Amino acid sequence: MKAIIIAVVLLIVCNLQAQNFKFGKVSKEELAEKVHPKDPTANAALLFKRESVRFDYRKGDGFTQVRTIHQRIKIYNKEGFSWATKKVRLYDKMNSESEKLYKLKAYTYNLVDGKVKDDKLKSDGVFDEELNKFWKVKSFTMPNIKEGCIVEFTYEISSPFLAIDDLELQYTIPINVLEVLVKTPEYFIYNKVLNPQTTYLPKIEESSSTKSESITNTSISNGSLGSRNSDTSVSQFTINENVIKVNETDIPALKDEPFVDNLGNYQAKLKLELTAIKYPNEPYENLSSSWDAVTKTIYKSDDFGEQLDRSGYYEDEIDALTANLESNAQKAFAIYNYVKVKVKWNGFYGYSTDAGVRKAYKEGVGNVGDINLMLVSMLRYAGIIANPVLISTKSHGIPLFPTRDGFNYVICFVEDEDIMSLLDATGDNATFNTLPIRDLNWQGRVIRENGSSTWIDLTPRKVSRDITGLNIKINSDLSAEGKVRSQKFDYIAKSYRDNYADLSTEAYIKVLEKDKGEVLISNLEVEGEDSLLEPIKITYEYTMDNALEEIGDKLYFSPLLFLNTQENPFKQDERKLPIDLMYPMSDKYMINIMLPEGYDVEYLPENQALDFANKTGEFKYLVNQNGRFLQVNVELNINASLILPENYTFFKQFFAQAMEKESEKIVLKKI
Amino acid sequence: MPLKLSVILFAIVLSTTTNAQDEELLKSSTIPIQLRVKANAVVRYDNTLIEVESFNDFLYSNKRIVTVYNENGLSDQGAVVGYDDNRKIKNLEARIYDSNGEEIKKYREKDFEDASAVSGGTLYSDNRVKYLNYTPTNYPYTIVIETQVNYRSTAFVPSWRPIGGFYVSTENSEYKIINNSDTEVKIKAINLDGYAIETHSEFHYSAQNLKSIKPEAYSPSFKSYAPMVRAALVDFEMEGVKGLNNNWQDFGKWMYDELLTGTEVIPEIIKEEVKALAKDATTDAEKAKIVYNYMQNKTRYISVQVGIGGWKPMLAGDVERLGYADCKGLSNYTKALLDEVGVTSYYAVIYGGKAITSFDNEFSATEGNHAVLCIPNETKDIWLECTSQTNPFGFTAGFTDDRDALLITPEGGEIIHTTVYATKDNLQSTNAMITIASDGSISADVTIKTQGYQYALHEGNQNKSLREQELHFKGYWDYINNLSVENIKFTNDKDRVVFIEDVSVSSSSFAIKSGKRLLFQPNAFNRVTRIPTRYKKRTLDFEVERGYKDVDEFIITIDANFDIEAMPNAVDISNKFGSYSFSIEKLSDSKLLYRRTQILNKGFYAKEAYDDFRTFMSTMVKHDKSKMVLISKT
Repeated sequence: MKAIIIAVVLLIVCNLQAQNFKFGKVSKEELAEKVHPKDPTANAALLFKRESVRFDYRKGDGFTQVRTIHQRIKIYNKEGFSWATKKVRLYDKMNSESEKLYKLKAYTYNLVDGKVKDDKLKSDGVFDEELNKFWKVKSFTMPNIKEGCIVEFTYEISSPFLAIDDLELQYTIPINVLEVLVKTPEYFIYNKVLNPQTTYLPKIEESSSTKSESITNTSISNGSLGSRNSDTSVSQFTINENVIKVNETDIPALKDEPFVDNLGNYQAKLKLELTAIKYPNEPYENLSSSWDAVTKTIYKSDDFGEQLDRSGYYEDEIDALTANLESNAQKAFAIYNYVKVKVKWNGFYGYSTDAGVRKAYKEGVGNVGDINLMLVSMLRYAGIIANPVLISTKSHGIPLFPTRDGFNYVICFVEDEDIMSLLDATGDNATFNTLPIRDLNWQGRVIRENGSSTWIDLTPRKVSRDITGLNIKINSDLSAEGKVRSQKFDYIAKSYRDNYADLSTEAYIKVLEKDKGEVLISNLEVEGEDSLLEPIKITYEYTMDNALEEIGDKLYFSPLLFLNTQENPFKQDERKLPIDLMYPMSDKYMINIMLPEGYDVEYLPENQALDFANKTGEFKYLVNQNGRFLQVNVELNINASLILPENYTFFKQFFAQAMEKESEKIVLKKI
Repeated sequence: MPLKLSVILFAIVLSTTTNAQDEELLKSSTIPIQLRVKANAVVRYDNTLIEVESFNDFLYSNKRIVTVYNENGLSDQGAVVGYDDNRKIKNLEARIYDSNGEEIKKYREKDFEDASAVSGGTLYSDNRVKYLNYTPTNYPYTIVIETQVNYRSTAFVPSWRPIGGFYVSTENSEYKIINNSDTEVKIKAINLDGYAIETHSEFHYSAQNLKSIKPEAYSPSFKSYAPMVRAALVDFEMEGVKGLNNNWQDFGKWMYDELLTGTEVIPEIIKEEVKALAKDATTDAEKAKIVYNYMQNKTRYISVQVGIGGWKPMLAGDVERLGYADCKGLSNYTKALLDEVGVTSYYAVIYGGKAITSFDNEFSATEGNHAVLCIPNETKDIWLECTSQTNPFGFTAGFTDDRDALLITPEGGEIIHTTVYATKDNLQSTNAMITIASDGSISADVTIKTQGYQYALHEGNQNKSLREQELHFKGYWDYINNLSVENIKFTNDKDRVVFIEDVSVSSSSFAIKSGKRLLFQPNAFNRVTRIPTRYKKRTLDFEVERGYKDVDEFIITIDANFDIEAMPNAVDISNKFGSYSFSIEKLSDSKLLYRRTQILNKGFYAKEAYDDFRTFMSTMVKHDKSKMVLISKT
């Protein structure tokens, strides 16, 4: 009986030793580990991560946010060495408004001759750098990093701000043990949301506690006979705190994949947003709570709603511009183009104005808010129903709950009967219902003039088409020649304008000829580059040497000649994250082939139709022979902008089959 | 001499800011038509004056007027000035003018953005930059920038590059050095012939109407043909350390005495450790290899640029303690270790990079972006790259091979050439056992063996995750659709510097079906697919920097239900660019042997030869696409 108890006690002790996450208590077992037991591909792993946030009360300063970080990282191999360097960005505007990093303590541990050897991080491995006016970076890199070592560090960041940065619960390496503890004073109300798009959802525990704070008041008075007395009084008070805890183990690594819109959208993280402040004996200050309320708060602010009401600075110009225009469509088009030419985008995002609409107009430069709020205002002035739409760009990701930070951008929605269109005047090649790609994320919040608001879907519904006509005349020397006519619409036209419109004819011919074999292109003409509402029309003539292959006494060629997709872009066997295709598209080829003298058709590919996920993807291949002429129609439609991971295998197969069909050969034989 | 006259006029412009000439330059309509061709920006006027006051003090003054035509021309503005404790900005201002020459904006020094000059891979550097953050409202616009920088570190004198890069033309550019000091200023003019450049004196140059240059495939480095004037002070100072630079010998001596001496101290215990490790080794090469391996296992590369302008290596003792350093610190540390085992090695400054850039043998000045170590050897010097934890001993192909570098010896500096990897040594052998089934699918076991420069191109695959390795092979053979990859195995023989990749692949759609026939390309696993860009009129000479040789042997087994209907004839081509040959041998009714050898020679060729080169490459592409036809017996 006694023996059993001792054995149990021993077991517990051993267990504790292997799992001791007190700073510095790195075990030999941890150091001896060669690969991560659950994820052998991991180059490094967070054996332990503790992150806590608390608010300290300091007289004179009020509440200060203190974030404490403790990480123990195992580095398995050389690819994992980058985890031995840490960079922390700190806001640093003025002294009273800056974040500070302190209490940095860090060690590297190695197993040397069976013993744990530690190396302390000294000041020569710590660097401070001013990045720009607002930010500085504190970075450190650990000493004596070798394969198998462990680095451990802890530090605190103090911040005068109430906003709490996201708590990251997942990294690109696995986390073995994760502890998060957030204690917020009752006066500050935070909204908590976990990212629902992640494949890993940790559990959150909520509770409350109290803590006592003391304030020391010292008053100095001049006593009699010139002596000075100081009176010290200490007042105690208690604060109720809201407590959030996450205690999890074995969090899998987040792995990136091609064609992902924004990896951060799929990372497990806890977001806390300050929604209200309620000090004792002061009125309740609501900061935001619902998307409707968030929208109202934004709408009411000086650098948003008020900017829409100003019109004095442009009235004369807009009056002149629209004087002879009859329809609202013409007016809207003229005003949109006017703003694009008049005010250039300085590259900065934001739904609020920066310079203010008046100054931006005068100087000809502004941020997104300046430009698109000005556009809304001008359209309204001209009698067109136009409203601002708050959005979050692709790089900003999808917000998890209603906050002002959830939006980072504003565009314009024209809701006039004849013209229902989203507009963004910051993109040179954007036009009616064709927005810059950065805008095509999630949904937008339209704010009407009365302050009410509603959602609008930003995903393009209209299929962007690319239609190509290809004439092929086959010559007796196995070369081919002919003409290509192509028309590109909507987003495909925009993509052409973004990438190639600035190129000279000669340079664009190079683009067309690149990797196409022995194709020579001439007489290239492009129409519609500048009229954004029109499609792009491209025509050119080509000659192609060795277009056909003579093998034995037969000729082989594929009807798309040099226009077929060369390579399947989807190479992975499986996916965990969706593919972001950005907009629905249709790619259509109409091919006319004139057969050479002395040859006849030996074999024609069969007609084929493929369907993916109930018309989400369609492929059609049709061949017709009419005497000496062949007609081949090939059409590939993808009627969705997002392919979900569960459909990936089918999508890849569909794409591969379509490509295979495109490359099939027509065989000609000598008569 | 209208040319001279305009130079004089411009000299006047420099002293007074408003001037009729100046105003003309602010209007974009006055740009000569030939300068607008293929230009994102035109440098209307660029005047550099360097006034040397003493060996440790010169003033750099520049006035620059640039008309920018589009977004791509923004970087040609030149609105960036680097500074640090020993390079102080004295004046910095800019004005923006619209296309009619009307001023639209003015910037003073405080309006410039101030940022750290740290580049992506560097953890810390004390260099900073001020740059202009201007959003153009209309193109074209013209910017006038005036800069004055006082240099107290004089080891680097700004050179003159009248053509700043591709797609920018230059209307006027002038460069002048006035020497008020008793130190000598050395100067070297490079590639001025053939450009409209006038040499007024050894220290005074001007250029008019230089047309833009556009990049072309296989061009040699820009530096090798663009005009440039370089300058250096014979007596100079780098962050308070005085130096002498008559020639490379002096300059190297200075580096040895002031930057390296005293940095090589390492703890006794480490000395004993390496001595013990190398005690059984007999030759210098063996000892060095042991030390190199020891260093690789102890250190990693971290770029921290402090200390004498980023030129002085971190102390070897600190590298020992911290286990990291940049190229200078790691090379110097390795040198200290080698000293202990009695192997002589020299620190060397070099240009690292895939593109080959050499030090100028004839003109000594502060150069280079990297440091390595050289162990002199009678038959073949051994060069050590100390920043990699995986690189084989003495292997430099692809990063520091075939170029002139500065060797720093106690006696002084010396320019020497690094290891050249010959065409025949940059070898890749691909062997495969291929089976083609009746449905057109393929399965194959492939072995790729690489050496020399080709080793450097393949070796990195082993460090990728399994998923990335699979994607790599799918991309490497991207002309085979639906490829699946299995059984990847890498063998890295670091002693012989041979990398072997074994992989099994299959694809359901390899051979193309046409009724009863199957068509396929017998060259399944090593095709040249890209033809170099075609130019109507090639303007630049061209270069193949590194030659290579590929040897391929594939044994192809076809389905027994098929007969061979047609088979391509053997090809054998040889010319100055290289050679190409392939043949197919029928081993039995269903077994074929495909052999191919392709060599591309290292070489520098006149632009007139480009069409022939392109034809050679496209001929290879064509032959690599040759098809076999199988026909069903049933």
